[in-house]
Amino acid sequence: MTEPVAGFALGVVIVGLACSTFVTRTSFLLAGARLSLGHRVEVALRYAPVCTLAAIIVPDILMHPPAHVLDLSLLNPRLIGALAAGLWLSWSRNIIGCLGLGMAAYSLARIYL
Amino acid sequence: MGVNGQHRSLVTAQPSERRVAFRLGQLAILPSLPGAFAWGMISGVAMVKGGLGVPWAITMSLLVYAGSAQLAALPLIVAGAPLWVIVATGLITNLRFVIYSAALRPWFADRSRGVRAALGFFMTDFTFTRFMRSAQEGTLPAQHSDAWFAGVCSSNWITWQLSALVGIIGASYVPTQWGLEFTGTLALVALVGPSLNARPAIVGAAAAAVVALVAYPLPFKLGLFCGAIAGIVAATLTDAVEQRSPPRSAEQT
Repeated sequence: MTEPVAGFALGVVIVGLACSTFVTRTSFLLAGARLSLGHRVEVALRYAPVCTLAAIIVPDILMHPPAHVLDLSLLNPRLIGALAAGLWLSWSRNIIGCLGLGMAAYSLARIYL
Repeated sequence: MGVNGQHRSLVTAQPSERRVAFRLGQLAILPSLPGAFAWGMISGVAMVKGGLGVPWAITMSLLVYAGSAQLAALPLIVAGAPLWVIVATGLITNLRFVIYSAALRPWFADRSRGVRAALGFFMTDFTFTRFMRSAQEGTLPAQHSDAWFAGVCSSNWITWQLSALVGIIGASYVPTQWGLEFTGTLALVALVGPSLNARPAIVGAAAAAVVALVAYPLPFKLGLFCGAIAGIVAATLTDAVEQRSPPRSAEQT
């Protein structure tokens, strides 16, 4: 893997991300009636975050460092942690509990498996 | 005298009413502040454990002020992905705010550009949800809904920034071996989980995950992009299919 983004480049990334926050949040508030959302576009915008996050999370869990190859084994600590967090979420929306249980399962799996 | 008195009362009443609305807004968001605090703290921890130094983490928290985009960008920053890929990923994660912005527009259409820009920038998932609830219940202060919303946003912003600071400083004392960087991934799981409540979301997320896995070897983290785009297309198609065959009861009416 290449080096992490740092220094000036990291500054550029942060400014870019700040612009993306500003542009999306103020879009319609500033553009007024000149913009309009069709149904198709609204659907795409609504589901864009969940799709992006799934595309980030799943490889992060199943293709973890250092090997970065598919690890579908139930002994994969990240998978165990994520499953525990998901189970918690299916009956409670409390994110502290979700993170606590997920981290506990992940840590135990890393230590004992 | 009467005219004068009336005029004076108008001038003096205006700011104090606005201040009351602002205060009420600050209080209205209180119930969701523990949640905001937890989110802010986790994003702070994840940023530092992901390898951003404390000064950069604080800069990011102050300027970007979007937890999901920050958490999404983080693994790409760590992996050294091209700058445009990182920024575009943050942008896609932020796209839901376009919908929020459209929903807020009618309420603030008569305000100045500066006010609209400020209210927009400080709007988050929590504050938007709170505003729309009061808007639907009809409990917004009639004249000063902008001041009320500014109050809501200020409480949320202060809580978020403080909690991020706590997370950033606290995490820098925790050894890396604890694996705390995994909290970032878990936080994203917590973000995605409740959104998987409709078929387009489930199909979209599944398609995104599979394509992202298959396309993983592509350079520049482009697999993530292919996954996201595939997911959005799948979700849109699923929604279109559902629209075409609405539930029975809707057809009968």
